[in-house]
Amino acid sequence: MKRISLKITILALILGLALFGALMAGCEKPAPVDGPDEPMEESVIIIGTTDKVTDLDPGEAYDFYTWEIFQNISAGLLTYEPGTTELVPGLAEEWPEVSDDGTEYTFKLREGLTFSDGTPFNAEVVKFSIDRVITTKGDPSWLVDDFVDSVEVVDEYTVKFILKDTFAYFPSLVASVPYFPVSPNIYPADEVVTDPSELVAIGPYKVESFVREVELVLVKNPDYYGEPAKNDKIIMKYFKDATTMRLAVEKGEIDIAWKTLNPTDIADLKGNPDLKVVEAAGAYIRYLCFVCNGDPFSDKILREAVACALDRTSVAEKIFLNTVEPLYSMVPIGMWSHTDSFEETWGEYNVEKAKELLAELGYNEENPFTFELWYTPTHYGDTESDMALILKQGLEATGVMKVELKSAEWGSYVDNFDIGNMGAFLLGWYPDYIDPDNYTSPFALSTASDSMGIFYQDPVMDEYLLGAQVKTKMKDRTALYEDAQDYWAMEVPTAPIFQGKLILVTQPDIAGIKVAPTMIFNYKTVYRE
Amino acid sequence: MRSLLAYIITRLLLTIPMILILLTVVFLIVRVMPGDPVIAMLGPKGTPEMIEQMRHDLGLDKPIISFGLDNQYVDYLSDLLHGDLGVSTYYKVPVWEKIRLYFPATLELTIFGLMIAFFVGIFSGAFAAEKRKTVADYSIRLYGIAIYSIPIFWLGLMLQIIFGVWLEDITGGRFAFPIAGRISARISPEVITGLFVLDGIITGSWKQVTNSLFHLVLPAMTLGLVLSGIFVRLTRANMLDVLKSDYILSADARGIKRRKVVYRHALKNAFVPVLTMMGLQFAYLMAGAVLTETTFSWPGMGSYLVEAVHYRDFPAIQGTIIFIALLVASISLVVDIVYAFIDPRVRY
Amino acid sequence: MMGKKHRAEWYIVVVGGVILTVIIFMSVFAPFLAPYDPLASVGDPFSPPCRDYIMGTNNLGFDVYSRILHGSRTILLISITAALFSATVGIPIGLMSGYYGGKLDRILALVMDSIYSFPGLILAIVMAAMLGPGVINISLAIAVIYVPTYFRMVRGQVLSVKEELYVEAARSIGARAVTVMVRYIFPNVIASLAVVFSLNVADAILTEAGLSYLGLGLPPDLPDWGIDLAKGKVFVPLGTWWIVTFPGLMITLVALSFTMIGEGLNEILNPRLKEH
Repeated sequence: MKRISLKITILALILGLALFGALMAGCEKPAPVDGPDEPMEESVIIIGTTDKVTDLDPGEAYDFYTWEIFQNISAGLLTYEPGTTELVPGLAEEWPEVSDDGTEYTFKLREGLTFSDGTPFNAEVVKFSIDRVITTKGDPSWLVDDFVDSVEVVDEYTVKFILKDTFAYFPSLVASVPYFPVSPNIYPADEVVTDPSELVAIGPYKVESFVREVELVLVKNPDYYGEPAKNDKIIMKYFKDATTMRLAVEKGEIDIAWKTLNPTDIADLKGNPDLKVVEAAGAYIRYLCFVCNGDPFSDKILREAVACALDRTSVAEKIFLNTVEPLYSMVPIGMWSHTDSFEETWGEYNVEKAKELLAELGYNEENPFTFELWYTPTHYGDTESDMALILKQGLEATGVMKVELKSAEWGSYVDNFDIGNMGAFLLGWYPDYIDPDNYTSPFALSTASDSMGIFYQDPVMDEYLLGAQVKTKMKDRTALYEDAQDYWAMEVPTAPIFQGKLILVTQPDIAGIKVAPTMIFNYKTVYRE
Repeated sequence: MRSLLAYIITRLLLTIPMILILLTVVFLIVRVMPGDPVIAMLGPKGTPEMIEQMRHDLGLDKPIISFGLDNQYVDYLSDLLHGDLGVSTYYKVPVWEKIRLYFPATLELTIFGLMIAFFVGIFSGAFAAEKRKTVADYSIRLYGIAIYSIPIFWLGLMLQIIFGVWLEDITGGRFAFPIAGRISARISPEVITGLFVLDGIITGSWKQVTNSLFHLVLPAMTLGLVLSGIFVRLTRANMLDVLKSDYILSADARGIKRRKVVYRHALKNAFVPVLTMMGLQFAYLMAGAVLTETTFSWPGMGSYLVEAVHYRDFPAIQGTIIFIALLVASISLVVDIVYAFIDPRVRY
Repeated sequence: MMGKKHRAEWYIVVVGGVILTVIIFMSVFAPFLAPYDPLASVGDPFSPPCRDYIMGTNNLGFDVYSRILHGSRTILLISITAALFSATVGIPIGLMSGYYGGKLDRILALVMDSIYSFPGLILAIVMAAMLGPGVINISLAIAVIYVPTYFRMVRGQVLSVKEELYVEAARSIGARAVTVMVRYIFPNVIASLAVVFSLNVADAILTEAGLSYLGLGLPPDLPDWGIDLAKGKVFVPLGTWWIVTFPGLMITLVALSFTMIGEGLNEILNPRLKEH
C-alpha cells in the first residue's frame, strides 16, 4: 500500500470529524417538555396525526379530522360533553323548545358573543350559515338539506328551525359541523372556501398559524364562553405515515400520537414502559354487504350461513392486534340500544351452523358453495387484503364454502354499487351523526339501501326503522332499534365484523384525554401533570 | 466545424417534438384509466346531479379527441401552455402548489445522493484502475455490477434495520440514524428554498442544519450507493484509458509521484464523461427517488406520485409526470449542450 | 477466440448461470420443496428464524421460506414474460423501421427515443395503475418500457449493415424484403440480443419488484417478494428483520444472476479494443 497523500488524509479527517460532530449535535435526545423556544410557563401540547385536512369550510368538509378542527375552534348550538355522547347546550343558552308535532325547534342563543374577526354572533348569523350550506350544496349539505325546510330569525338571539318532517334525532344533527355558524366575512353565501383567508374562531381555541400538511397551531381563546382550556397551546403535526408518527412519539418528539397508528406499532408500544396508551370505543365499523336482489345472495339462508362463518376474532387478533373489537350488530358498542344480535342468534364463529344451513340447500364438501368476496385494497388502509385473506380462510374452514377474492380500486368499487356485480363486498362506515339511525337506515331502509349497492327491501324492517325515526321518546326508539337489530340478524342485509377502537399513545405526563364514540377529540381537557 | 449556437438551436428544436410526444403519451395513459375519478371523490353518497356537476366542472364531459377544438386533448394542451396543471382531486389544491411543495425535498435528496454516488463511484473507480488486476480491482468491479442489481428499496430497508433499529439497540437507545421523515417533529423548519439544509444555513438555524443532515444520511446513502455502481465502472474504464496515455507515461518518466499523477490529471480527464453520465442517469435517479422516498417516508415528488396513483388523483398523476418529463428533457438538453461546448466534435 | 483471454468473464457467466439454475429449480419444484402452504397461517406471527421456520414467519404467521420458494415463480414468470413481449414487439419494428427508412422511421425513432429517455419505473407505475391488477397486466406495463431498447439496438444494426455488399447483392437478385431482413440482417443481431435480453430480464425483475413494492398490481393470494417487502416495511421498527431481509436478498440474487450472464457475455462477445 503506497503512502497516502498527507493532504488528503488531513482533509478526510477534518471532514469526518466535522460530520461526526454535526451528527452528534443533531442527535435526538428526549427533548424538554416545552417546545424549543417557548417560555417555561406556557403549556404546549404537541399532537401528531396522519389524517389530512380537506376543505376548511363547515359546509364542505366531510371527514372526521377536518370536523375535529372545527369542533375545537368553533362550536354548534348544541355540543357533546367531552368524552360522552351526551348532548348539552353549546352556543345555545339552553335546550331548544320543540313544537308538539316535533317539526319546529326554537333555540335561544347565548348573548354577547363575537367571532374572533369581530363579527357578532346572533340569529342572523345562524340563519346565514344554514342557508349557506343548503345553497353551496357541499358534500355534507344533505345533513341539513334533507331535514331542514327553513330557518327563521325570531329575534336577535332567537332562531327557529322548521323541519321537513319529524326527526327525533335532530338534536344530534345540530351538533354536527355543517350546522356550525360561520362568519359571513370569510365565507360567502354561495361559494365553498377551501382555504379561508382567516380561520375564524368562536370556540375554545383560536388559530395562530396553519401550514397545510405541516402543522396547525392553536392557542387558547380568551373570549370563549365556556370553561377555558387546560392548556395554552396545541401544535398539531401532520405525518406522512404511521411509521414516522410511531417513531416520533417513541422519541418524545410529540406528546400524543392520535389517529392512526399501525396496529403492530400500538401493540409494540403498549409494552413500552415510557409511554401511555389510552383506549376508547370508536364509532368506526366494518361490515360485509350483500347484494340482496341478485345471484346468489337473494337467498337469505346463504347470507345467514356466511354471517355464521365470519371469524371476527381472528381478524381482530391477527390483523389488528386487538385494536378493534369484534362486532355483532350494526349499532356500535357503547351506543344506546346496542345488542349483540348476531352473537345471540348465531354464536361467535359457528362452523356447524353454517354447514347445517348450507346442507339445507344441498351444499356439502363435494359440492361447496362458491362465491366472490370483494374488497378495496387501499381506501381502508393496507390491512384490507390481509383481512380479506383471513376472512376467506375462516369461511373455507367450514369445508363447504369456496371463496374467490376480488378487488377493485375505490373508484371502480363505488361504481360497482350500481352495477351490483359484487355479490359480497366489504365496507366501512363513519357516522354522520351519532344516532342508531345512521348505522341502520342507510343500509336496510328500502329507500336508501339501493344507493349502498345492497338493494334490500323489507316492509318489516322499514316499519322498525321509520318508526324509530319519528318516535320522540327514547324508550320507544330503543325498543324499536332492539327489534330491528334482532331482525337484522335473521335477515342479514349486512353482517357486522368489527368496531374500531380509538387509541392514543402519549407521553407519561399527559392526562385528561377524553374521547368518545362521537370520535371528537376535545383538546381543551388535556393537560400536563 | 459547426458553431455551438447552431447546435443549441438544432437540439432545442429536436426537444420540442420529444416533449410533445411525451405529453401526449401521458395524456392518453391517464385519461384511459379505469375507475371514474369523480365517483371516487364523491363516494357512495354522491347524487347523480353532483356527479354530473363535477364532471362538467372538470371538463370530463367533452370528447377526448375530435376534429374540432372542443375536446379534452386541446384543453389539456392549452392548460399546460398557461402553466395550469389542474387541481388535485384528492387534496383539493392546485397540482402546481403540491409540486412546488414537494419538489425541493426530492431535489435535496437527489443532490446529496449524487454527491455520495460521485465520491464513492469516482474514488473506487480510480482506485480500481490503479490497482488493475488485483483482488481489490476485481472486488470493486464486482461491486459495480452487483450494486446495480440490488433493489434500491431493499437496500434502504436494510440500512434502516442496521443503522436505525439495531444501532439503537446496541447503543442502549442513545444513538441511531432516523429512518423516516426529513426533520424532527419538534422543529418547525424555516423554509426559504425548501432545501432544509440550505435554509438552515441561510437563517442561521444550526439545529435545522444538523437535524436535516442527520435525516438525510440513510436515504441519501441508499440512493447514492446504488447509483455509484455505474460511476465506478465508468471511472475505471476511463481511468484505464487515460493511464495508458502518453501524457501519463511521460509524467511517470519524469519521476512525478504516481499517486499525484493519477488523482490529479487522470481524474480531471475522466471527469467529463462522468458528468455527462450523470445527466443520462437522471431518469434512473428519478425512479430511484420514488422508491427511496416511499421507503423513508420522505415527502418528495416520488411519494406524491405514489399517493396520487393510490387515490386515482388523475390531475396529480398527470401533473407530476409532465413535470418529470419536462425535467428529464431539460436536463438532457443541458447536458448535451455542455458536452458539445466541451467537445466540439459532437456538434452535428 | 474465447479462451484464456476471457477466463474471468467466463467465470462470471458461469456463476450467474449456476445461481439462475438454482433459482429456476426452486421455482419449478416449489410446491415440493416448501414445507408449508405459503398462504396459510402456520405458526405464531413474527417468529424469528428457528428450526420449524428457517426464515421465520411474517405478521400473519405465514412461513417466510415457503413464500420465498413460491415467490420465485411469480417474479420469474412476470419478468421473462415482459422481456419476451418487449422483444417480440421491438425487434420486428426495429428491423422494419431501419430497413425501410424514410419519414416513418424518423418518427418512430423519435417516439422510441422519447420513451427511452423517460424514467422507466415511473412509466410502468402509471401504466400498471391504469391497467389494474393481474399478472398479464403487470407484464404488459413493464414490457412497454423495454420496447425502445430492442428497437434501438436492432435498428442500429440494420442501419450499419444495410449498405453492406452482401445485402446489396441479395436485393439485386430480387430477394424479398422480409427474406433480406430475416436471413441476412437479423443474424448479426443475435449475439447482441442475448446480452440485451439478459440485462433486460434483470431490469424487468427490479421493475416488477418495485411495482409490487409500491402496491401496484398483484392480488394478495399470490406470494411475491415485492409484496412481502411492502408489507414488511411497516414492521421494521419492531426489529423483525427476517421479513424483509430474505425476499430482498432473493430479488438481488435473481437480478444479479441475469446481470452476470449478460455482462459476462457482453465482455466476451464485444470485447473492448484495449485490453483490460
